[in-house]
Amino acid sequence: MSLQSSISHYSDQIKQAVIDKQLLQIAGNQSKVPIYEDAQILSIADHTGIVSYDPAELVVTVKAGTRLADLSAALAENNQMLGFEPPEYGDSTIGGTYACALTGPSRPFRGGLRDFVLGTQLIDGQGREMRFGGKMLKNVAGYDVSRMLCGSKGSLALVTELSFKVLPLQEEKTYCIPMPEGEAILLMNKMQGTSLPLTGCAYFEGRFYYRVAGEHPAQDNRVEVSICTNDIWKTLNPFQPQLAPDEKLWRLDVESTNPSIENTIAVGMGGTRRWVASKNKPNHPYVTLWQSRFAPRNNDKPCVQRIKKGLKEVFDPHHIFKDL
Amino acid sequence: MDVIQALEQALNKNCILSSEEACRPYECDGLSAYRQKPLAVALPENAEQVKQVLKICKAHNTPVITRGSGTGLAGGTLPLKNSVVLGLSKLNKILEIDPLQRTAIVQPGVRNIQVSDAAAKYGLYYAPDPSSQVACSIGGNVAENSGGVHCLKYGLTVHNVTSLTVLDMDGEIIRFDEKDDGLDLLALLNGSEGLLGVIIEIKLKLIPKPEAAQLVMAAFKSVKACADAVTSVLKQGIVPAGLEMMDKFSIQAAEDFAQVGYPLEAAALLLCEVDGSHDQVKVDAQRVADILTQNGAYEIRVSQNEKERNELWQGRKNAFPAVGRYSPDYYCMDGTIPRSKLAYVLEEIDKLSEKYGLKVANVFHAGDGNLHPLILYDANKPGELKLTEQFGQEILKLCVDVGGTITGEHGVGVEKLDSMCHQYPEAELEIFHGIKNVFDDSGLLNPGKAVPTLHRCAELGHMHVHNNQLPHPELERF
Repeated sequence: MSLQSSISHYSDQIKQAVIDKQLLQIAGNQSKVPIYEDAQILSIADHTGIVSYDPAELVVTVKAGTRLADLSAALAENNQMLGFEPPEYGDSTIGGTYACALTGPSRPFRGGLRDFVLGTQLIDGQGREMRFGGKMLKNVAGYDVSRMLCGSKGSLALVTELSFKVLPLQEEKTYCIPMPEGEAILLMNKMQGTSLPLTGCAYFEGRFYYRVAGEHPAQDNRVEVSICTNDIWKTLNPFQPQLAPDEKLWRLDVESTNPSIENTIAVGMGGTRRWVASKNKPNHPYVTLWQSRFAPRNNDKPCVQRIKKGLKEVFDPHHIFKDL
Repeated sequence: MDVIQALEQALNKNCILSSEEACRPYECDGLSAYRQKPLAVALPENAEQVKQVLKICKAHNTPVITRGSGTGLAGGTLPLKNSVVLGLSKLNKILEIDPLQRTAIVQPGVRNIQVSDAAAKYGLYYAPDPSSQVACSIGGNVAENSGGVHCLKYGLTVHNVTSLTVLDMDGEIIRFDEKDDGLDLLALLNGSEGLLGVIIEIKLKLIPKPEAAQLVMAAFKSVKACADAVTSVLKQGIVPAGLEMMDKFSIQAAEDFAQVGYPLEAAALLLCEVDGSHDQVKVDAQRVADILTQNGAYEIRVSQNEKERNELWQGRKNAFPAVGRYSPDYYCMDGTIPRSKLAYVLEEIDKLSEKYGLKVANVFHAGDGNLHPLILYDANKPGELKLTEQFGQEILKLCVDVGGTITGEHGVGVEKLDSMCHQYPEAELEIFHGIKNVFDDSGLLNPGKAVPTLHRCAELGHMHVHNNQLPHPELERF
């Protein structure tokens, strides 16, 4: 199927859903979000492939159903990578990663997914094809719809194509030091204020881990510092720990200097992400239940709720796309 | 009671300007070709007063044009005749710097450079550095999503803002934070050109100052060779902190002005800065020099110390005023193109330069394809400004046609409303208007900027200019 014909196919499907008043749930390879029974699946899984990629432009444009693994492999052939280090849930697509705004441990250093999004092609809730942003690193014409939709979980529009800034692959080394959590949080903040080229800072099972890219001074001249494999970053991204039967996993977004939080089992992203295993919801403003991995927080203030509702009406006035 | 009386009653009298003379400095921003005196200027001293101004203006159905330092280059803060200009220059405090967390909380009127100055004692700085950073305010930076010489590596404003507090037209406080779930509204506010809310507080990311930086200057005999060399640098895994290119005319003007020793016979000059740890910079500077030599640079200079590095930058940093000395006026354009189209676009600009009989100097951010053609003209010659604007719009059309955009960093303002009709079809523009309406259903925040009405685009026939004549020239188009 040619690109254009498949795009019009999606568009027709959406227009038909408007007529039939049929709720649609956009899905890729279903690695992250469960399928809900009240909606018909609008599958983007077959919409795959790299549309354009010029390594010298540092930009790749890719169809939303493309598997992360395929995209990363194509970039690696040119010694490049996705700078936001997306988590791999098994057959994850780039579209789903974007829809859920998923980002890896390098976020405080290189930026999160939204920082690399340059443009999107999408189909709105009326079946209209549109493009926002572009394939350039700099573009301030019009509102930044491409970044705004990052994290929208398919609730406003079907995103069919995405352009990202890419980065050169760098050689990275991981070091670790055994220490208590509180000390590690302080140390990782102090280190982030130095010129050491960090790309990761985390705390897990009694050890402070940090990752350094490229040329840097020797780190192992102190007895307590040892070189580890880079595998720890895969363990933490995606973080899928074993829990006791009555425990739930909570993801907390905090300031990097936030002191230790009770029942924390891992600290990631330079201190800004805390993973808590507990029965009850931690008392904190930015908590997400990670058991059903992408449950919304629903703790927006009324004025923000009003804005989000308003934007839903703009993009999807017939409420065709399921809110997740 | 009219809106001016209401404002005077609510705020200190010295916070409201309404006389012809007092309002004069607010009749334009950095794009002085467009001028309009507003009804009045309100200069509140705190967020509570900003709220009062908004409530009063809403009650009187009076448009509000929010303004920082007025350094914008696209007419984004051009007043309307019946509008109040809301100047935020008195909200100029750095509220907090947290060196351990590496953040700064600032008011919108703080100048860009002040943040880095205040953070310097902790070895930190605020990365986005628009060329106007000495004067421009952070609030304006957010409104325009400003970039700068270093944004290829360190990002634009949107990448360095972690939280925003804004007031809507009803005076209600809304906070947007990077930690928010779902839609990325924080990103939407960046670059929204004062149409969605009035920014009253900003949390910025600070980063450690690089240990070292070295600048490589390279001269090329052709623009194409220079553009290809840039491509090679990026392809080989180096992301320079700065990557700037100048054409022959700009080199001459800059050298004439700053005498830094640029090679005058070069067709194109490249300035490539690498920064980071001492070890990394040493390796990268050598690699850049090697790659550029292999790609046809016939002269290379690598700065050996900070003095040399700053001196080599001086020509580029003064390129605009330097070119300005050759002509009574110049018009600075701002388009972005894929880098692979650089040589073609410059050739086309040359042809347009002949067609319009106006000289052009090209200075641009080669790393991200952001062009700044400077069109030289004389505003005193009847019709020459109009001709210059047409020339500018043709350049922007060219940028869009090769897959680029009409603005990389200056914004749309009123300047590029017509060009927006060329870049975005009807459905996209409808979405933009829908977004505006969600945030500001009264349409009183900076109306008529950034997003053209569909009516306007239809009249313009999507920028089809026949025989240099716009259709319906009698219609007012700012």
